[in-house]
This record gives sequence, structure tokens and C-alpha cells, in this order.
Amino acid sequence: MTKKNSLFTWIAARFPVREFTKQHITGYYAPRNFNFWYYFGSFSLLVLLNQIITGIWLAMEYVPTADGAFASVQHIMRDVRYGWLLRFMHTTGASAFFVVVYLHMYRGLIYGSYKKPRELLWLIGMLIYMTLLLEAFTGYVLPWGQMSYWGAAVITSFASAIPYLGKFIMVWLRGDFTISGVTLHRFFSLHVIAVPLVILALVFLHLTALHYVGSNNPDGIDIKEKKDRAGHPLDGIPFHPYYTLKDFMGAIVFLIIFSIILFFAPKMGGFFLEPDNYLPANPLQTPEHIAPVWYMTPFYAILRAIPNKFLGLVAMAAAIALMFVLPWLDRSPVRSIRYKGMLSKIAIVIFVVSFIGLGYLGIQPVSPLRSAMAQLFAASYFLFFLTMPFYTKYEKNKPLPDRVTA
Amino acid sequence: MTTKEQEEDEVIDAARRCFLRRATTVVGGIGAAAASVPFISYWLPSADTEAAAAPVKVNISALEPKQQLTVSWRGQPIWIIRRTQDMLDTLTQLTAQLRDPDSLEDQQPIYAKNIYRAIKPEYYVAIGVCTHLGCIPNYRPDVGGISPDWLGGFYCPCHGSRYDLSGRVYKGVPAPLNLKIPRYMYLSEQEIVIGEDKEGVEST
Amino acid sequence: MMKYLIFILLFLINSIVVAEEVNIALEKVHINLRDKHSIERGAKFFATNCMACHTLVYLRYNKIAHQAGITYEKMPINVKSWPYGITPPDLSLEANVRGVDWIYTYLHSFYVDPARPTGVNNLLVPNTAMGGILAAYQGQQILASDTRQSRLIFGHEPQWYDKLELKSSGSMTPQEFDSAITDVVNFLAYAADPYHNEQIKIGYWVIGFLFILFVLAYFLKKAYWKDIHKKYQDKK
Repeated sequence: MTKKNSLFTWIAARFPVREFTKQHITGYYAPRNFNFWYYFGSFSLLVLLNQIITGIWLAMEYVPTADGAFASVQHIMRDVRYGWLLRFMHTTGASAFFVVVYLHMYRGLIYGSYKKPRELLWLIGMLIYMTLLLEAFTGYVLPWGQMSYWGAAVITSFASAIPYLGKFIMVWLRGDFTISGVTLHRFFSLHVIAVPLVILALVFLHLTALHYVGSNNPDGIDIKEKKDRAGHPLDGIPFHPYYTLKDFMGAIVFLIIFSIILFFAPKMGGFFLEPDNYLPANPLQTPEHIAPVWYMTPFYAILRAIPNKFLGLVAMAAAIALMFVLPWLDRSPVRSIRYKGMLSKIAIVIFVVSFIGLGYLGIQPVSPLRSAMAQLFAASYFLFFLTMPFYTKYEKNKPLPDRVTA
Repeated sequence: MTTKEQEEDEVIDAARRCFLRRATTVVGGIGAAAASVPFISYWLPSADTEAAAAPVKVNISALEPKQQLTVSWRGQPIWIIRRTQDMLDTLTQLTAQLRDPDSLEDQQPIYAKNIYRAIKPEYYVAIGVCTHLGCIPNYRPDVGGISPDWLGGFYCPCHGSRYDLSGRVYKGVPAPLNLKIPRYMYLSEQEIVIGEDKEGVEST
Repeated sequence: MMKYLIFILLFLINSIVVAEEVNIALEKVHINLRDKHSIERGAKFFATNCMACHTLVYLRYNKIAHQAGITYEKMPINVKSWPYGITPPDLSLEANVRGVDWIYTYLHSFYVDPARPTGVNNLLVPNTAMGGILAAYQGQQILASDTRQSRLIFGHEPQWYDKLELKSSGSMTPQEFDSAITDVVNFLAYAADPYHNEQIKIGYWVIGFLFILFVLAYFLKKAYWKDIHKKYQDKK
């Protein structure tokens, strides 16, 4: 036995390496018909890894005080070797994270991956999404530019809309009577350690829940219903080597696109790195145009569409809450959009158009026409969810296939 | 397809897979190595750190005889002492008591490899850090100060190491080496620069 | 581009006192960040003319700035008591905040205005606190007479040169002045993102490498998936 093998044997006798590999990698049977939409889960993991590693490196040089933060970011960009590269990797990664996560959620939406027995998987995923939004928000404050400061001011002021305790909660969140270095410093702690730990724990739970019930597939039928003599699903293939290699190949395409943005357009015309954030935070001057970063704009548009402070917040919260209860709104006997009726297909299209429309409107300054459109899109967004128990129950679906279709 | 053809196919397949696995691993490995360069370089001193590590100019015109001036260079105390003739005369008397009287160990630049351990005997320039465990020794030019036969030098309070007025370490003390002399040079009669000499700047 | 215009439009609308209606488009400047000499000339110009009021605090350890004579010690770091109430902003990141076209247009748009304490005004920033530093080079400009403005072609957005005319010439011809300001703007663009050239260069290498790796990964994936396609070839 070679030295390396005996080391492995030593570890394997004390730690379930072989069993783990068998259960989750070489012996985890996934449907053979995964398509393009199935890349985004593993891409999310890749981007998470990127954020953690670049984040650790950035935290070595970043200064989390009101006086030092902005200058420390410039120090990283200019004086630290390859600091600009790691910073751009982190900012591009933040936007990439949401692109990938939204596409991953969309896959869940169209193939019914939230339906029984994967409701908990969906809920954990929604929690990851919420935590990710918090992580992005706290991270955006850290450069302490004008948008960092005023974005923090606006979003923490949502708390003041809570009846009775609102103002107190807002001061409690900020640690000061206004956004200040106190707020910055605690957001730094949340962003660097607290929220990442929560994300890692949730991702672990997410993968555990997935492996416990097995993956869904584009046809939405259960591959475990038909097994071969060895007990493996007829339409299942081992994750390794088939999906490890496929995901590796897909990841390189993702990295190519990521690199094009990273090296040739990291500011993305002001969408990833706003011009206003190149000005140090000034508590005495609000920028002309405050908008959250693009990935929060759909909800921001819903908030702005309602001309009442409290109700706007309620609407925004409801928009997110509805996503949580999706498994119970969908009454269809069928999982995948491929076999649902025409009503579901129309509904999904309307939903996507509304979501993207809201996102676009959230970036633009307010105008009467835009407000009306935002209200329209907000209405169709809510109707997608609220009418779902009806159109999914009563529409005529297509017959399900016997085996998965490649 | 005959079984023989199938078998041949399988052999070709296996060989192809093996080649592709190896090729991808090698190229991927190169990529991983290249990708690690920014992360490792990031840890090198940044531009401002390097600027802070730049040579330090010192004006010695106001230095009185026997006076010690301490300046900071790269976070270390640098002593500049104006030695008098009687201080210099003590240097030849101590040879037997010193560990390395001829400065054979590599603790000084070539121009300080003499009994004065300096470019000009009058001005002694040294890094004021004990070669034992890094404390800063006390300047004790007072004859008879440390012990009755003390001719003047440096005494480290941490563990009792002693050095003569050229920073040469005594025998029988914990410190193993003479005090380190930095690279330096005279810009004029009044000005020396620490951390740089005719050969160039001391690297970081 | 749209975003910058909206920003400027809103900024203009919100100006404290608007002397007259400002409605000029931004003139596009063509800078080349690979033109090192242009950047160095711009740095020298900055050191000579701008550094008396404007700082470049984040370029403290920048070689090109240092060689041009822009050193931290010379900068007016603490300009607390400044006439006209406003502190001249640090310009390290100005090219990222405003954009190069804005800066180029701004520096061209000064004109004589006796009503202002500085004696000059600016088409892009009405009642700007900045003085007429560039008049020595550009010459003095005044608001164009009506006949000139009526020569505007329909649909063409007015530029600064449509609204101003030269009263007396400076030490540079208009082309020389354009060139000098292009250099300054190029330098400011460099100052905002000094790593830019390296960024692009590394980008080509990284993406080139990834293409090669993709080819290998693709064929590797296909080699293994051949099994699956063979196994399920009768299923569709």
C-alpha cells in the first residue's frame, strides 16, 4: 500500500469519507434530463466561494470607521497589489450572485421544484434569498460613499413606519440618532461574519434537504418511482462524474462571462458601481437620485408604487411573503410548466414581465406615467400569486410522460 | 457493431478520457496557480507601506559630544551617537572580553567592518535592538556605571547583555551577536541617510 | 450616457440660483488611456494650474503624479477658509463621479460675467465658485450674441461653443486649448482608475485562457456523457 493510500485508509477508518462520497457524490442519482436551468445552483455555490474569499482578503485592508472607510477602499484600489482586482471580483460577484440566484429561483418556479416534498427546500431557499439581500445591503454601506450612506438612511428609515415602536427600532438598528460610524461599524460585523455564517448554515441545510428528497427535473415527474434491479432510478445518473463534469464545463462558460464583465465593464455603466458612490458620504447633502442597487429595485418599485408610507412597506413585505407561501398557492396536480395548462403559462409570462418591468421602473426617477406602470406591474405581480390557487386548480393540464424526456 | 469493434471503441474511449482528464487537470492547475497570484501578491507591502519604509534622512549637525539621537526607520530605533576620542580609545582595550571583536559575523555592511563599526569613527550608527531577544539596550557611556571595570557601552536591561561603544557584544552574556549596523551613508557633513548607501536602497 | 445626462439635468434644475436657462449638451472628448505622454502632459498641466486649489489625495503614492510634481506636501489639504463659501473638491475620483465629457465641457464653458464675485460664470454649472483660471490659455469668452444663437440647426443640441464666443484670445489657439484640456481630462481619467490598462491586459489573458480550458472541459464532458447517450438512445 502506498503512503498516500494508507493515510486515506487511516482517515476513512475515523471519518465517513467513503460513505459521504457514496451517498452524496458518486452514489447520488440525479435525473438525466437536467437542462440549462440546472446550472445555477452550482453557480451560486461558486459565486458564494468567490465572495467569501475575496471578502476575506478585502477585510484585511478595509477600515470600518466613518473617517477611514472611503479612503481604505481607495487604498485597496490603488496601493495594495491587485487590490483593484479583488475589489472588482467582489462587486461583480455581488451582482453575479443575484443574477444566478434569480435564475435559480426561476428554475424552481417553472419546474415546480417547490412542490411536495420540496416545500421545506423552497422555504430554506427563500431564507437564503432574504439573507443574501441583507448581506448585499450591509455590504453596500461599507465603502461609505454617498449612495452607501443615503441608501442606509432610506432603508433603515423603513423601520420608523412600524406603529408605536418604529422610531425606537430605527434608532436601535442604527445605534445612533442618524446613520453614522456606529452604524457602519456594526454593519461591518454583520456583513463580514454574522450574515455569512447564517448563509453558510442555510446553504448546508438547503443541500441536506435537497439530497434527502432528491432533485426534481424539467418534466416534474418523480424518477424514484421506477427503479432498476440495483435500486437506482431508471432515469437517474450518478452525480459524479456526469454532473460534476457538466457543471465544471458550465462553470467555465460562466467564468468567461463573469470575466468579460470584471475586466471590461466592472462599473456596468453605473449599475454595479454608481457614480455617486465615488463621492465620500456627506450627511448634509442628499444625492439627486437615490435608488437601491438593481437587484433590489423590483421591491423598491412596489414600495414606491403605493402612495402611503406604511402601506407601501406592507406591500413590499407582502411581495416577498407571497414567494414564501408559493408551495401552498400552487394547487396544480402537475409540477412542471411543460405539462401545466395555458393559464399557468400565461401567468408565468405576465409574472416575468412584471418583475422585470418593476425592476426597470425602480431604477428610474418618478414620473406620473412610471408610477401608473409600477402600480399596474405591482398588481399583476400580486395577482400572479393570489389567483394561482384558482388557475392551477381549474386549468386543463397535459398528460405526464411515463419516463423523463431528454 | 461486433463485440470486437465495441471493445476497440471502449479502449479508445478510455484512452481519450484519460488524456482529456490529464490535459484538463494540467491546464486547470495552471489556471489555479495563476489565479492564486493576486491573492498572494495582495499580502506584499502596499505602496504606502513601502513609502513608509523609505530611507530616513537625519541631520546630525546639532549632535553634542557623547549625545545619543534616536530616529525610527522601518519601525526600528536607529541610534546615532557622537563619540569622543576617549570613548574611541576604549575600543582597543576590550578585545579579549568580546565574542566577535573583529566583526566577522554578518551584522554590518562592509564599510562598518572595522573597530569603529562605522564610516566615520566620530559618529556611531546602529540599530538599537538587542541581538538576544529584541529589547532596546540602554546607552551607558558612564565609566564604572554597570560594574567597576565598565568602560562605557550599552547594557540591555532585559537579560543583562552588554555591548561596547561600537556595539560589539561581550562574552558571557545571552546575546550572541554584535549590534546590527544598517546601511547608511553621508549626504553631507551634516546629513546622513539611513537605509540607503552607494549600492542602493535596502530592499523591503 | 443617459444616466449622466439625467444626473446633470436634475443637478442643474436643483441649482440654488439659476442665472439663466442652461441647456447645453456635453461635448464628447476622445481620450486614450494608453497614451502615456498625454497623461503625463495632463499631470503637468494639473500641477501647474490646478494644484493650488484642488487636491488629489488618493494619488499620494502614484508614480506619474509624483513625477509631474504633484506631491502630497504641496497639496492645499486644509482649505477651510476659502473665498466664495465652497471648498474646491478633491479631484482624484472626479472622472468617475461626473464623467470625462462633463469635465471637458465644464472646462470649456467659462465666460466673463461681471455679476459674479469671481468675475466669471459657467454654462454647465451656473454660478460656479471656480474662477477663470483657464482664461489665460483659452482666452476670455462671453455669451454669444443672438445672431450667433439663431444659427443653431434645428434638432442639434446646443453645445458650449454655440452659446459662447471668444472676446480676447489667450496663449493657446482653440485647438491647442482643446488638446491641453484633453490631456488634463485624460490624466483625471487615469487618476480615477490608474489600474485600468493592467485591468484590460489581464482581462485578455484570463478570457483567452478560459476559452482553452473550456475546449478541454467540453470534450471531457462529452467523452463521459457518451455513455449516457448510448444508454438512453432509444428513449427521447
